Amino acid sequence: MAEVKLGMKTQVPASVESQKPRSKKAPDFPIVEKQNWLIHLHYIRKDYEACKAVIKEQLQETQGLCEYAIYVQALIFRLEGNIQESLELFQTCAVLSPQCADNLKQVARSLFLLGKHKAATEVYNEAAKLNQKDWEICHNLGVCYTYLKQFNKAQDQLHSALQLNKHDLTYIMLGKIHLLQGDLDKAIEIYKKAVEFSPENTELLTTLGLLYLQLGVYQKAFEHLGNALTYDPANYKAILAAGSMMQTHGDFDVALTKYRVVACAIPESPPLWNNIGMCFFGKKKYVAAISCLKRANYLAPFDWKILYNLGLVHLTMQQYASAFHFLSAAINFQPKMGELYMLLAVALTNLEDIENARRAYVEAVRLDKCNPLVNLNYAVLLYNQGEKKSALAQYQEMEKKVNFLKDNSPLEFDSEMVEMAQKLGAALQVGEALVWTKPVKDPKTKHRTNSGSKSATLQQPLGSIQALGQAMSSAAAYRKILSGAVGAQLPKPPSLPLEPEPEPTVEASPTEASEQKKEK
Amino acid sequence: AAASSSDSDSGRAESNEANSKWLDAHYDPMANIHTFSSCLSLADLHGDGEYKLVVGDLGPGGQQPRLKVLKGPTVLTESPLPALPASAATFLMDQHEPRTPALALASGPCVYVYKNLRPYFKFSLPQLPPNPLEQDVWNQAKEDQIDPLTLKEMLEDIREKADVPLSVQSLRFLQLELSEMEAFVNQHKSKVIKRQTVITTMTTLKKNLADEDAASCLVLGTESKELLVLDPEAFTILAKMSLPSVPVFLEVSGQFDVEFRLTAACRNGSIYILRRDSKHPKYCIELSAQPVGLVRVHKVLVVGSTQESLHGFTHKGKKLWTVQMPAAILTMNLLEQRSRGLQAVMAALANGEVRIYRDKALLNVIHAPDAVTSLCFGRYGREDNTLIMTTRGGGLIIKILKRTAVFVEGTGEVGPPLAQTTKLSVPRKTRLYVDQTLREREAGTAMHRTFQTDLYLLRLRAARAYVQALESSLSPMSTTAREPLKLHAVVQGLGPTFKLTLHLQNTSTARPVLGLHVCFLYNKALYALPQAFFKVPLLVPGLSYPLETFVESLSSKGISDMIKVLVLREGQSAPLLSAHINMPVSEGLAAA
Repeated sequence: MAEVKLGMKTQVPASVESQKPRSKKAPDFPIVEKQNWLIHLHYIRKDYEACKAVIKEQLQETQGLCEYAIYVQALIFRLEGNIQESLELFQTCAVLSPQCADNLKQVARSLFLLGKHKAATEVYNEAAKLNQKDWEICHNLGVCYTYLKQFNKAQDQLHSALQLNKHDLTYIMLGKIHLLQGDLDKAIEIYKKAVEFSPENTELLTTLGLLYLQLGVYQKAFEHLGNALTYDPANYKAILAAGSMMQTHGDFDVALTKYRVVACAIPESPPLWNNIGMCFFGKKKYVAAISCLKRANYLAPFDWKILYNLGLVHLTMQQYASAFHFLSAAINFQPKMGELYMLLAVALTNLEDIENARRAYVEAVRLDKCNPLVNLNYAVLLYNQGEKKSALAQYQEMEKKVNFLKDNSPLEFDSEMVEMAQKLGAALQVGEALVWTKPVKDPKTKHRTNSGSKSATLQQPLGSIQALGQAMSSAAAYRKILSGAVGAQLPKPPSLPLEPEPEPTVEASPTEASEQKKEK
Repeated sequence: AAASSSDSDSGRAESNEANSKWLDAHYDPMANIHTFSSCLSLADLHGDGEYKLVVGDLGPGGQQPRLKVLKGPTVLTESPLPALPASAATFLMDQHEPRTPALALASGPCVYVYKNLRPYFKFSLPQLPPNPLEQDVWNQAKEDQIDPLTLKEMLEDIREKADVPLSVQSLRFLQLELSEMEAFVNQHKSKVIKRQTVITTMTTLKKNLADEDAASCLVLGTESKELLVLDPEAFTILAKMSLPSVPVFLEVSGQFDVEFRLTAACRNGSIYILRRDSKHPKYCIELSAQPVGLVRVHKVLVVGSTQESLHGFTHKGKKLWTVQMPAAILTMNLLEQRSRGLQAVMAALANGEVRIYRDKALLNVIHAPDAVTSLCFGRYGREDNTLIMTTRGGGLIIKILKRTAVFVEGTGEVGPPLAQTTKLSVPRKTRLYVDQTLREREAGTAMHRTFQTDLYLLRLRAARAYVQALESSLSPMSTTAREPLKLHAVVQGLGPTFKLTLHLQNTSTARPVLGLHVCFLYNKALYALPQAFFKVPLLVPGLSYPLETFVESLSSKGISDMIKVLVLREGQSAPLLSAHINMPVSEGLAAA
């Protein structure tokens, strides 16, 4: 039974002496695919050295005819980063068996990796002709079209990929396209379906949670993030997002314990240190807060949110000169946010630069749409300067915003802010009591009903929502593909309008103090 | 804190040692066995109740294939094999007594069957049908109706269009140079066109009884994307099924004559499930990576993928669960503890661990001294529950499961991750920082004002300097409307003679510049230039004109100075451009 010659030891095409038993005139050829199975086993074990040795042997023996050996060699080249070489080898394979869609697929994949998306789509389309029911071709075509910014085509391809066979990857890609187009609701739909299909995929769960967070649906967001954490307790993206939600509810200690895990996994993440800093801020450990925020700022010097928080903390510490620098830096990066100008104005007021403070307020009022604090603070400044009329105008503006907010959301107002507003109202309304009583009452009653049970709930949520926006941006940044685009969506979500509210606490108190002084 | 944690760690390790479920029976790092899990098999080859280990050994570097039979820790017999073994299996061929199982080794296109360790039968895969067109063409060549060149064209045509691939003979021919064709055709034209395939994987399937000692059929997977079921006695092909890709791993359940299920993990990353009477796959599972192992536990298919994860699927292909592994999976096999009715999956990882899972619950982790490349579990010698592992370096490890051992779920990772107990490293602040903070609180306004004043002064100075530079044309760029010029200078050489090259470029889009002069200002005690003042030729827009001049350093004291280059317009006293060149120190001595 040992008649079959072991061809591999001899590199002479195993023919010369081996075929005696068959008594043929001409030499026989070795079977081309003889060791394909061995090549494959080595390849899937990632034992590339052994794999290359077998490939070399087999190619020598078959004089380069073994298609599978070339194919695997090309795959290994690609893994090693030699994409150009691998592309050439795949093309050789395509010549050896032109009817095989697999080879074309790999050629296209190499082109894709080289960034030649257009060429890749052409080859994929070619492959699709040979094999019409391959989800991989559809999926990859979808990815290529995404990079070519042809989102409609991409969606079509991805949907047909899903029809052929469901894969998490396709769902993720489809969700990303919706996000790129800014369609949050559709993206959520897709991710919901994806989670239904594979309920244990932590990446899907985390992304869905983050999307809900962006929409402000905190209950669902927490649910999905929690699920992600049950399957993978060390998933730092989910921890960061869940932690920021805990901050929203004032659970600073729990959030801090959770952040420890993240600090081990990604110790150089700016959003992490920003959130830790804001946790300490919430616990009134201001020095620790500043050092954490400064680390965050060191890691991401161009992130205005960190600068904003630094400005806020320094205002609290009454370090107005430092606060001024951080805030003006933040304004340089984000010149379109009313609250930043308001904080700057507060800093300037305390630095006794009234003229510039007033300018900052004017800018803040111009940019802001719905934060009554801006107007209130401006009114206080004007009142303190003795300009009652302008103060009155700002006060009325504030009332409008307050009424609008009351109509639209069940938010409670910060008690300090309400108190301040009442005092100012009282000071301004000398003689015109009727006009003022009503609006003043409203916040008051509201405040009273809530204050007993939930005193000062507002301040904390705000601080952490700021942080939360951060968490989202961070999560977005860790996505491997298209991260920039996803991140770019951030400014939109409704979390931002809420964001400024950390200031009220910090901010109202200094002004209040100054006002009281004056009155006395 | 560090000390206490390391204490507790070592404590845990010791308790592991004591509570380990395994007895170390044998470890030979030099056993020189290089194989895959598919080439390991345990069987009572001699019918004496003493189970032997059959190893289809590939040899170091896949160079010396051997069939080894081990009894206990020693090699009982060892015989060379004609080719590398793809798979080894033991099976009962018939119902006769004594019930000694036969040994089948799949290698190349053949299955070698041994009985009582003696060669008994050789089964060869049937030839694949050749392409009729190809056969025709060669027949014509045989009768000298066509010349080699036409033959080549026709074959290429067939290769482009046909579904059936060409034979090796034709492929070889297509590679030849024109001069070699004639001889090749003459040598080979009389041969019958052949297409031979090889076996990639093999397993056994009970013929008609589910008993432990019932006769089994061999199931073969071939490179031609087919599955064959062989009769256990006559070795005829009972059934033939086709797959969309080449099978790599096979898993079977049921009996051939009653109802059976064949699961094949294939090279295209898919897993196909076939049933009796289906010539084609009934269900398909598409993984997004290559499968590295396929094990059936009760009714659940467990697949290991190259993405370092284990997936569970139902027998209809629905995904049940996924578990992430800490490292790449090398091989997998079934662990069956009959006495306790336990079935679990063993997965050997690249980091040297062997993990045992029941569904997605981790039951046990074995730390092997080297990465385990093949493993199997079963009765060995007279011990029911033995685990046999071979390592990457060719070592052999035999462990025996303690009879008292019970696998309990939840011994894996539970609770919060370890990292949660480590403290956050919050940067500390110094005393100085606190003092500065206090100072800022007291004198914040003054600090702010000073800073603002200084900032304005700085800006003012910068602006002044800029204006001055613009007015006196000190910059190397001139942006006046008439003469937009750019100048940069290069100094070459070690000294005392340097070569000074000025690159002058007219950056206007269309207009040439005429009538410029270059003038050098330098200390005559230190440097000598052949020409301190010369005319510049007409400057065509866009081109860079190198203007070269030599500079002789006169000082022997290693002093260097600055040379100023001025570009002037005829009739104007203010320069258009100027450049200051810091000359390097002369390394050579001045010509004495």
